[in-house]
Amino acid sequence: MEAKELAEEKFEIDKLEILDASKLEFYRDDAGFVSLKYNGQEYFNVRLTRLTPFYSATTYISVAYDNEDNEFKEIGVIKDMKELSPEQYKLVDDYLEYKYFMPEITRVHSIKDNSRGFIFVDIDTSAGRKTICIRDWYSNFRMLSDKLLYAVDVDGNKYACHDIDKLDKKSMSVLEIYV
Amino acid sequence: MFSVPFNLYKKKEKVNGHLCCTHEEFLVYVNDELRETIRYDEYDEYACEQLVGCSMMVARKDDVTKKYICSFTQDSFIAFAEVAKIVNHYLTTGIFVEKSGIDEPKCPKCHLPLDGYAECPYCSSKLRVFTKLFKRLAPYKLPFAAAVLCTILAELVNVITPYINRILVDDYVIPAQEATGDYSIGWSGFAILCCALLGSVLISTILDFVNMKASRHVALNLGQDLRQDVFNKTLDLSMSSISKKTAGELISRVSNDANKIQSFITDYGKDAIIRILSLIIVSIIIFIMNWKLALLAILPIPFVIFIVDRIHNTINMHFRRSWRFSNEHSKLLHDALNGIRVVKSCGTEEQEIEKYRVASSKWAKAAGDAEIVWNLVWPIMDFVLTFGNYFILFFGSKMILGVMPSWGTMTLGELTQFTSYVSMLYMPLRWLMRLPRTFSDVSVSASKVFEILEEQTDVRDSKDCIDLDIKGDIEFDHVYFGYKVYNPVLKDVTCKIEQGKMIGIVGHSGVGKSTMINLILRLYDVTQGSVKIDGVDIRNISQQSLRSQVGVVLQETYLFEGSVLDNIRYAKPDATFEEIIQASKVAHAHEFITKLPDGYNTKVGNKGHTLSGGERQRIAIARAILHDPKIIILDEATASLDTETEKQIQEGLNELCKGRTTIAIAHRLSTLSNADRLIVLDKGRLAEMGTHDELMRKKNVYYSLVMAQRKTTKMKKADIGAAADVKVNA
Repeated sequence: MEAKELAEEKFEIDKLEILDASKLEFYRDDAGFVSLKYNGQEYFNVRLTRLTPFYSATTYISVAYDNEDNEFKEIGVIKDMKELSPEQYKLVDDYLEYKYFMPEITRVHSIKDNSRGFIFVDIDTSAGRKTICIRDWYSNFRMLSDKLLYAVDVDGNKYACHDIDKLDKKSMSVLEIYV
Repeated sequence: MFSVPFNLYKKKEKVNGHLCCTHEEFLVYVNDELRETIRYDEYDEYACEQLVGCSMMVARKDDVTKKYICSFTQDSFIAFAEVAKIVNHYLTTGIFVEKSGIDEPKCPKCHLPLDGYAECPYCSSKLRVFTKLFKRLAPYKLPFAAAVLCTILAELVNVITPYINRILVDDYVIPAQEATGDYSIGWSGFAILCCALLGSVLISTILDFVNMKASRHVALNLGQDLRQDVFNKTLDLSMSSISKKTAGELISRVSNDANKIQSFITDYGKDAIIRILSLIIVSIIIFIMNWKLALLAILPIPFVIFIVDRIHNTINMHFRRSWRFSNEHSKLLHDALNGIRVVKSCGTEEQEIEKYRVASSKWAKAAGDAEIVWNLVWPIMDFVLTFGNYFILFFGSKMILGVMPSWGTMTLGELTQFTSYVSMLYMPLRWLMRLPRTFSDVSVSASKVFEILEEQTDVRDSKDCIDLDIKGDIEFDHVYFGYKVYNPVLKDVTCKIEQGKMIGIVGHSGVGKSTMINLILRLYDVTQGSVKIDGVDIRNISQQSLRSQVGVVLQETYLFEGSVLDNIRYAKPDATFEEIIQASKVAHAHEFITKLPDGYNTKVGNKGHTLSGGERQRIAIARAILHDPKIIILDEATASLDTETEKQIQEGLNELCKGRTTIAIAHRLSTLSNADRLIVLDKGRLAEMGTHDELMRKKNVYYSLVMAQRKTTKMKKADIGAAADVKVNA
């Protein structure tokens, strides 16, 4: 009986499923999570993930959920968030911006090195001015591409400057010897 | 009771929120407005989930996240994890703990994380650290005193030399116009002066020799003591203390930090005394000789100290930057050459060459910049520092000629003596300028070393612990455990394992299987509940007695540098050769060892003969058999072997486990076919326990694990079949 059951099971290779943006209906449920109605199915607490968080914030967004066995199941991928309706776009964007909370560095005032592997970086960010402390700065304060500066402070908060060429001259000269 | 502030709520905009905890419920306030009330008992568990840029606190029911509570930036993570822990503790025990220690404490002074240290190594009193360091000199006080005495005497001899030079110049170097008529030279006086000069050189050479010998003796012995003590202590620490530090860091403590201290003692410890002493003596002499000229000599010093202090960081940064680029360059080189097959097969040589060119030129530029800065700064600094010399020559010669009566007069010999003393003054000054940095460097090293030496290990033998002759009954009694207290791995695990039985532990990866084994070995202590062996809490059994009766075979066997014989004998150093062969035979290792070129003397380990995975495991089993333990632990012992080798090893394992309590972990469920009973863990809890047949009938967690594994096996077979088809078609 068991052998028969197994013999009848079919195994499919996972394929990339690009989601039809017009059928996606995201909503915030009562528990405070983002949930989804799609193709007549309802998914509670879906997991939205930027597949290339550093290069694009609004394209290739994976939509997944955990099934009853706590297994990761991907519903599909949103190719470009622009295809979503304005309200849907805002809901998804709000969630992603919050999940990937990463203030943008707009100016670098100074960097102080305490010679113990920590640096203290005084920056203006989109979330206000702050002096952040970075441990092991060789790994946690670095360029991910020619333009993208990425910083992780001792607490694990992340900061980024997507185009350092847009920073003012003084910030650039402060940054110069560190990156 | 208390409230914890949070700064995000569902959106990325910052809010001013407070999560208030009362005796019964959470109150969520956002911008001073009550948004929600959540009763603790509405859910089973509270937890913090880390997102990418922030974290959130959630409530779970039946291990499924059901409710969002609030979110916050990562700096508040520990505080919220603590809240979750307190409330969870309340839900399971009914006790509300109002105060509990935070897991990752920060230094109260510099606010930097303590990284597992009890006291911030950077902020601890430098004086205290050095006092401790000098206390360690006690066994070597005689040679150390000899070294200090020799240095002081040598320095005094050095101070006398310029004085002899002065007499030589003043009495025996006579200007031509004054020397007319009388050509007689007091040869006897001259000879005495020459002998004195020669004598001073000889004495200072002897003193230097004695000094060098004595200080080397002190430093080498002190370094050895320190390294040995740090090593002893490291092996004595509990796994949780050790895992807070990486192997690299521990190695650096044993070798680098101890070495730094050793060289500090030889190069600086004794020198510090003498340099400072010579600075004082020379300063007094030159001020007595002529205070005006002395002032001129030291005039540039404050400027230099000020400038060095300002530019020090810049210079340092340039060198570190260059070091970083060189590191990146070698990483790239390592990558490209190690992955040369991938590079060649993808045809990306051009791409790699371009990447290498960029990295290499970046390094060259950074190194060039650093050199320019260094070569620009130091000669200028040195010139400014010794600028006083030019003032002295200028004003000193005017004084010799008598054109500055208000400054007094001076002979040529006096000027020579004076300039010699001034040069002697600059030497310790240059050294002193570097001192603060060295001093702080060494004090950090020293406090790191003392930190280890003084650390209290958290898994300790209790005072009334006993040496137990273990029979093999093991009991888990409501055990809770987490490597981080706020993140429990095992939750309320209760089970009994009878003597002589073989038990398999199964479950998904990360479910806590190896953790159970770590607890039996007492590598960690449980957070709550207890683990008992033969009815005795293992915290009351001495660690030595416990571990000497438990044998472990791990997935990866580590072979130490040495011969096969040494490696098998490791578990029982006093075993006879016959016992070793007997153990190897039982483990089915004897055959392959005999075929090795040097038999039991074949070198294995890092630089030795390479053994296959199966052969290594057989050595591990022989080691375990020789150990003759009462309890055997097999942690994925055959996971990295192919099924054929596994079958062969299995025989050895069966011999090993005969009549002993055995606990085996295996992903491959077929490996556990011999087990008397199986323990199934799910999400940190004990989900089921029973025989294979019982559990299959239940159709629960174990059933789905077996089914999932059959699926993959079937898929693998299908893949092989498909590949075979392709071959046939081709």
